[in-house]
Amino acid sequence: MNGKKKSLIHILLVLWSITNIFPIYFMLTFSLKNNEEIFGENVLGLPRHWIWANYESALNTGNMALYFVNSLFVTAAAIGISIIAAMMATYALTRIKWKMSKLTNAMFMLGLTIPLQASIVPLYVVLSKLHWLNKYTTLIVPYSAFTLSMSILICTGFMVDIPYDLDEAATIDGCGLYGIFFKIIMPLMKPALSTVGIYAYLQCWNEFMFANCFISDSKHRTLPVGIKELSGTYTTEWGPIGAALVIATFPTLIAYVALSSKIRDSFIAGAVKG
Amino acid sequence: MEKKRLVSMLLAGVMTLSLVGCGDKTAPAGDSNAGASEAAPAADAAPAESADASADAGAADAASSDPITLKMWCIATESDSNRHAYEAAIEDMKKAHPEVTLDWEAFENESYKTKIKAAVSANEMPDIFFTWSCAFLGDFVNAGKVYCLDEAYEKYKGDLDEKMLANTTYDGKHYGVPLTMNIVGLFANMDILKEAGYEEIPGTYEDFIKCCDAIKAKGKIPFGCAGKETWCVTEYLESIIEKTAGAPALNDIFAGKATWNNEDVAASVDTFQKMINDGYFDPSGIGLKNDDVKANFMAGKYAFYMNGTWNCADFANNAEFFPKVKVGEFPVINADKSKLGQLIGGPSDTLAVAASSPNAARAADYTFELGKLICNYGYLDGCGLPAWKVTGDTSSVNQLTQDVAKIVQNSDQMVLFGDTAMSADSANTYLSYVGQVYGGKIDGKKFIENLAKDIQ
Amino acid sequence: MERDKSALQQKRKKDLNKGLTVFVFLLPGLLLFVSVLIAPIVVSLYTSMLDWNGFTQGTFIGLANFQELFTSGSINFWGALKNSLLLALFSVFIQLPLALLLALILGRKPKGERAYLTIFFMPVLISTVVIGQLWLKIYNPDYGLLNRFLELVHLEGWKHIWVGEEETALGSIIVPTIWQYVGYHMLLMYAGVKGVSTDLREAAMLDGATKWQTDRYIVIPIIKPIIRVSVIFAVTGSLKSYDLIRILTNGGPFESTEVPSTLIENMLFLRNRYGMGSTITVMLIALCFAFALLISAAFKEKDN
Repeated sequence: MNGKKKSLIHILLVLWSITNIFPIYFMLTFSLKNNEEIFGENVLGLPRHWIWANYESALNTGNMALYFVNSLFVTAAAIGISIIAAMMATYALTRIKWKMSKLTNAMFMLGLTIPLQASIVPLYVVLSKLHWLNKYTTLIVPYSAFTLSMSILICTGFMVDIPYDLDEAATIDGCGLYGIFFKIIMPLMKPALSTVGIYAYLQCWNEFMFANCFISDSKHRTLPVGIKELSGTYTTEWGPIGAALVIATFPTLIAYVALSSKIRDSFIAGAVKG
Repeated sequence: MEKKRLVSMLLAGVMTLSLVGCGDKTAPAGDSNAGASEAAPAADAAPAESADASADAGAADAASSDPITLKMWCIATESDSNRHAYEAAIEDMKKAHPEVTLDWEAFENESYKTKIKAAVSANEMPDIFFTWSCAFLGDFVNAGKVYCLDEAYEKYKGDLDEKMLANTTYDGKHYGVPLTMNIVGLFANMDILKEAGYEEIPGTYEDFIKCCDAIKAKGKIPFGCAGKETWCVTEYLESIIEKTAGAPALNDIFAGKATWNNEDVAASVDTFQKMINDGYFDPSGIGLKNDDVKANFMAGKYAFYMNGTWNCADFANNAEFFPKVKVGEFPVINADKSKLGQLIGGPSDTLAVAASSPNAARAADYTFELGKLICNYGYLDGCGLPAWKVTGDTSSVNQLTQDVAKIVQNSDQMVLFGDTAMSADSANTYLSYVGQVYGGKIDGKKFIENLAKDIQ
Repeated sequence: MERDKSALQQKRKKDLNKGLTVFVFLLPGLLLFVSVLIAPIVVSLYTSMLDWNGFTQGTFIGLANFQELFTSGSINFWGALKNSLLLALFSVFIQLPLALLLALILGRKPKGERAYLTIFFMPVLISTVVIGQLWLKIYNPDYGLLNRFLELVHLEGWKHIWVGEEETALGSIIVPTIWQYVGYHMLLMYAGVKGVSTDLREAAMLDGATKWQTDRYIVIPIIKPIIRVSVIFAVTGSLKSYDLIRILTNGGPFESTEVPSTLIENMLFLRNRYGMGSTITVMLIALCFAFALLISAAFKEKDN
């Protein structure tokens, strides 16, 4: 009975694993095939002729390498800004006592439910009036703002765990509020960095709507938009699209698998603390 | 030489045909036949040399020679049939105007619409931008965001007939430089037609339906139509409406001069739906994009494909498929109201200059010259018929495009594509109901009722 | 007396100092938040009452846009709302239970726990645009995997033009949406499950509870706050859904898969109706808030 149940559980786990891995495998194989193989007999197997030219098309025509670097830069910068702003705000909200702190915190938490679409039009009008379109910062600033609420939520979880005695001890030692932040809180918040980073990464890396509307020159285009454009170019040729998808996906997947336990622990820390 | 003369003769035909303008509702619409005689001399004087000379003359007085940079947005992406024409034209312009640096960027059609509108509303337009004629450009013109080209046009009058500007003329002022013009063509895979026992595209509606039945009997699908892109459905539906209700009636409806509440339109919708229900259309089409459908047609899945004549270029470039394909006109359904030669199409691809451009006057001249070159190369490539007088050797133009020119030469009246002719809001309401027609959600009666209600 | 005064002054100075510090620390966050989120919403509130095409000056028309939104035949707001709520329903009642089940199973430390965790989280990391393109290839009527598979097992009758038929289009969107984010919710809940002390579990087991009973009566109540967060994210996420729909169906066929976000885009960029676009935006924000409050309230109610 117990054995039966156990094997049932394992079947479930294996099945779900297959549904998770299979599309990725499918993507990898068709990125190396030509249409005849994809449309013909060899739908699922490993490619018979490995067509690396698909990758060449994706990299040359599709500029995937540039878009990848752009995405990486925009995401990293947005995460950086978001973390700094969130740390500072969280410090003011949790470790300094003042009247409106609860209310201010509640306001920041509203951001969790505000849809990105809400600000696209007004933001576009303002950004263009300021001649602030087609720059990396055009995306970095909204991205860091939209990840801010989540970052504050997670930082709060971490920061309230830091014993308040430390602050008091530091005050007695003559530390001001700034001193406490830089000397005591910051070093102890290191574990929060990776957690905030992961949540922010998930929001920024995939973002499509702002990137599509705010960036019109190809120099600053990010991956999601690049893929959309490329798939418009190669609607009927699946190979190069597959190659672009792989280029967009595999570096992060590989990094994830290599660091998976650390990433997972950070993600989990966020869930518990938040 | 013989061929060359034929082509310029055909072009003369193109120049003479009447175009129904949208912006300027009073001017060119009425003179459907009167235009023929007056335009003929202009067409006769179209040999290559003289046209070249006048272009150079235009270049010489195109303002100062200070180096400037102009920014241009268009939709000639790598996969677009017009890509080569743009590249070649821009290369030529670089040589002719080394002082102008053109910084150009191409976007995918669908996202371009989003981008250009957002840019216009934010006053963040490039100096030169691609636009569709009539309502699309009209919104920008009404908002005062487009530079008036009347002054610049004076210099290029000799090469560009004013009729070609009808779709980009608002309140009697010109705002657009037309590139190529296209109509909806009925493309046929003659291999399949022969298999079904037809040597030519049937000329009458009865024969046409019989032909479709014969094709079906051979296990082939008569038509392919991309349901995921509603404009592809309009290519069929508008032709059917035109050949039922007549071009004048359809044009009045598009122009807002007549109500949608028209029994002939309802009947056309029912005709279209009967064809769908009779299995003339590929049922997969509803889930496909146009590129897929086109690929299917070229792969021999469908006998007919109704779409813009810009496709001629792609068909001509496919050596294996090209010998099989022919182009024709959809047959007349109601001979009392319509006749052959009533077509859907007209000049729509347009370049315009932003009013906000700091170098608007020079950009205007540059746009005319560039437009002329793009038109020229585009025509040679088979991307459509030229809106400008053509220069150079045109004997290399593919047979399909020449056939289109012949159809246009014999044309009686053209009605511009509905989604271009109508304002953005109305056009999308219209497209939404056309989509519902293709999906069998509403019948002809509902179609006209809904449109009459929603579009005032 | 003197002393009190100076103490008061000092306190005031300290308060001022503190206030300044609070302000300095909040400044970057507030600046970002107000300029990118709050101000645009306020502007949207105003533009939602305009008849405005985005190019010219708008005219103030009060609540006429809202009225049209609820009554118009060609703006299918109710349909869009229905679709996103359906998406939310499937998320809450299929995606979350599946995630919870996986989290509970993995919480029992089965063989290969780490490998499973890694695999289940993978789809979350892939860009939605990539997922959309990938599933388009799976759904392709002629060459797609799904139809090929059905052919292979001789179920030709089940073949569909998945994203092109009204009956299947919404389902074709729901499946990848759920598929992608099961891992996300699973990991959230798994974190909660791991947080339940082993003593508590062991105590329950000693009392004769089965593993399932322990999960049901001990673990689930403890991780309730996390489940609540998951539900809020799932529902508001569904209301906001955009990317996958944009790529898979673009609201079609015949607007049967339209959601508020695609409707907004349609209004802004296709129909040049910025006023109406803002109106839908305002409705969307209001709905997101309403549902977040509603869900929180529902969980509180249950607790009592």
